[in-house]
Amino acid sequence: MRIWAAVLSILAAATMVWAFYLIFFYAPTELTMGVVQRIFYVHVPSAWVAFLAFGVVALCSLGYLWLKDDRLDAIAISAAELGVVYTTAVLITGPIWGKLAWGAWWVWEPRLTLTLLLWLIYVAYFMIRNATENPERGKRFAAVLGVVGAVDIPLIHLSVQWFRSQHPQPVIMRPEGPTADPAIVETLFVSLLAFTLTFFALLLYRYGLERMRMRVDALRYRPTTSSVTSAEGAFR
Amino acid sequence: MSGGDPLAQSSSSEALIQARGLEKWYGHHPAVRGVDFDLGSGEFLTLFGPNGAGKTTLLKLLAGSLRPTRGEIRFARGDADDEHARRRRIGVLSHQTFLYGQLTADENLRFYGRLYELGDLDDRIDRMLSQVGLTRRRRDLVRTYSRGMQQRLALARTLLHDPEMVLLDEPYTGLDPHAAAMLRAVLEQLRDGHRTVVLVTHNLSQGLELADRVVVQVAGRWVSDEPRAQLDASTFEALYTERVGGTV
Amino acid sequence: MRDFARQSALIAHKDLLIELRSRERLVSTLTFAVLVAIVFSFALDPTVRPVRIAGAMVWVTILFAGMLGLGRSFTLEQEQDALVGLLLTPIGRGALYFGKFLANLALLVIAAVVVYLVYALFFQLSLGGAAAGLALVTFLGCVGFMALGTLFSAVAASTRLGDTLLPIVLLPLLIPIVVFGAGATQLLLIGRPLAEVGGNIRMLAAFDLIFVALCTTVFGTVVEE
Repeated sequence: MRIWAAVLSILAAATMVWAFYLIFFYAPTELTMGVVQRIFYVHVPSAWVAFLAFGVVALCSLGYLWLKDDRLDAIAISAAELGVVYTTAVLITGPIWGKLAWGAWWVWEPRLTLTLLLWLIYVAYFMIRNATENPERGKRFAAVLGVVGAVDIPLIHLSVQWFRSQHPQPVIMRPEGPTADPAIVETLFVSLLAFTLTFFALLLYRYGLERMRMRVDALRYRPTTSSVTSAEGAFR
Repeated sequence: MSGGDPLAQSSSSEALIQARGLEKWYGHHPAVRGVDFDLGSGEFLTLFGPNGAGKTTLLKLLAGSLRPTRGEIRFARGDADDEHARRRRIGVLSHQTFLYGQLTADENLRFYGRLYELGDLDDRIDRMLSQVGLTRRRRDLVRTYSRGMQQRLALARTLLHDPEMVLLDEPYTGLDPHAAAMLRAVLEQLRDGHRTVVLVTHNLSQGLELADRVVVQVAGRWVSDEPRAQLDASTFEALYTERVGGTV
Repeated sequence: MRDFARQSALIAHKDLLIELRSRERLVSTLTFAVLVAIVFSFALDPTVRPVRIAGAMVWVTILFAGMLGLGRSFTLEQEQDALVGLLLTPIGRGALYFGKFLANLALLVIAAVVVYLVYALFFQLSLGGAAAGLALVTFLGCVGFMALGTLFSAVAASTRLGDTLLPIVLLPLLIPIVVFGAGATQLLLIGRPLAEVGGNIRMLAAFDLIFVALCTTVFGTVVEE
């Protein structure tokens, strides 16, 4: 698995370099928003990864509840940790861009709102996982939230969409810009690829770390046998 | 035991339950490690052991409320695979009463009775209440009961559905002498040759009194498993107190 | 199936009987509802016409009052480890969940009715015309709320944080209820016809069906040790 992680990291790094080149030197400067618009190439891929990560959390949570395999939970927590980081990135880049482009930090844009709620679900995931006396139960509870949350996300999305349709905001957000310039699409695609590869590379490393931790715990808590043998001896 | 179907081999001793290679791990902590035994129908087994030995865990495994990490536990006959049917045949008395303080004794028993789908529920409730001496207080809220009375009612709840196997986890805890005597009387009645009883206790004299079989569990393993008849009480008590620690 | 119904009914009956005796949850949720209405009365700008924000006020109150009562649903099972005793009986885990869900729903509906009455009184709202629509929308919202709430109150009861965990976990998940429920309520209160909120009602019903089914299924994993 180490080899996979290394290969993936190199691939991810290379793609990231290429993406940054494209972002800064290839993609055209947007007419109305200027250079600031380039934040879009970080903002959108981050959002994509944030939701992808939660998809991984949800699938592994379902598997964990069903098969009770600790490795699935290890993947889930790894994906969750990464996911919340990417989600935070979305929630930071979004308002920055909003402020610079339209003068408002937060306008309840549907996708950004959905991401905010995703962030809150991630936070709840960690809180639940760490709030139990018995760590096994904590993992199970978190997995339940992973599954329930994943089922809820599409419903939340629909509700936020409907909400916005009822309350149209004057600011129209078209982060891609009014035209679908092929250069923009290409840059976005490469950036998406770079972010996704990075996510999976980091996921592998984090998973490896989690597995190592599990092994250390197993060694640390190996019980001593002396108390048993002395008691055994007494009753023979 | 050599190969072959273990059930066939122990049919002569009418084993009600069989445990093989039973293990239960909480994360990396082993509460029960590699326990094998046959429990016969009508047997009264007392389980001694220090705190943290995993006795409660073993009881929970027997009751079916915990699944073993490794190994298996089997009911030897009947609808062994049907979980619901299994639960009908088991009664558990813990130091927690499993009762609702806001309900009366009657209501508590009726609730449990209906969950077990018991016929002639009224008769059963009358009988059980009379057996534990709570008939006069049956319409009082359980939270007005003393600890001893609550435990007596819990005993009634445990036996209401006439279980084949009764598991008792330190039932004497916090009981006044009157309640303890009543508990002992009821336990003696349970030794009717049909019911299997497993009693976990710290109380050496009470535990030894009624036992057919005496087991000592330490750190998840059974370090001693002897028929009561072959034990000399005072030697055992001295040994146990010295090596494991306990009260007489 | 009949077992499921019978067992759920037993559990629901037991929970409601306990509540009838102590009235803890009802008293606390109703008192809370009245107090929030009073606070709103003082906090609101008197030039604002209350009917414009009544939908929001009602739903915020129902949500927080409901969460107050939810905690008790499983803590009452913890006092003498009653939940352990229950799990030892031949009761289906799904039926155990559904029974508690029904009891929680019944109590919440009572609270919701009081919330509406209190707000109608304090803010001179006229409920008569839209009563049927309001009842339907509110009921559907309460179902979804209690479906998720019952599941997670079982979770919360087994954590160190206890009830404080409930709003943190539940509120993001309940956004669809808030949006569709409060949205429909608001429209109905200002006199829009029921047909106009048909979409909301369908969404609420879908939410309810999905989560009652899902929570009934996963509840077993939450209560097993």
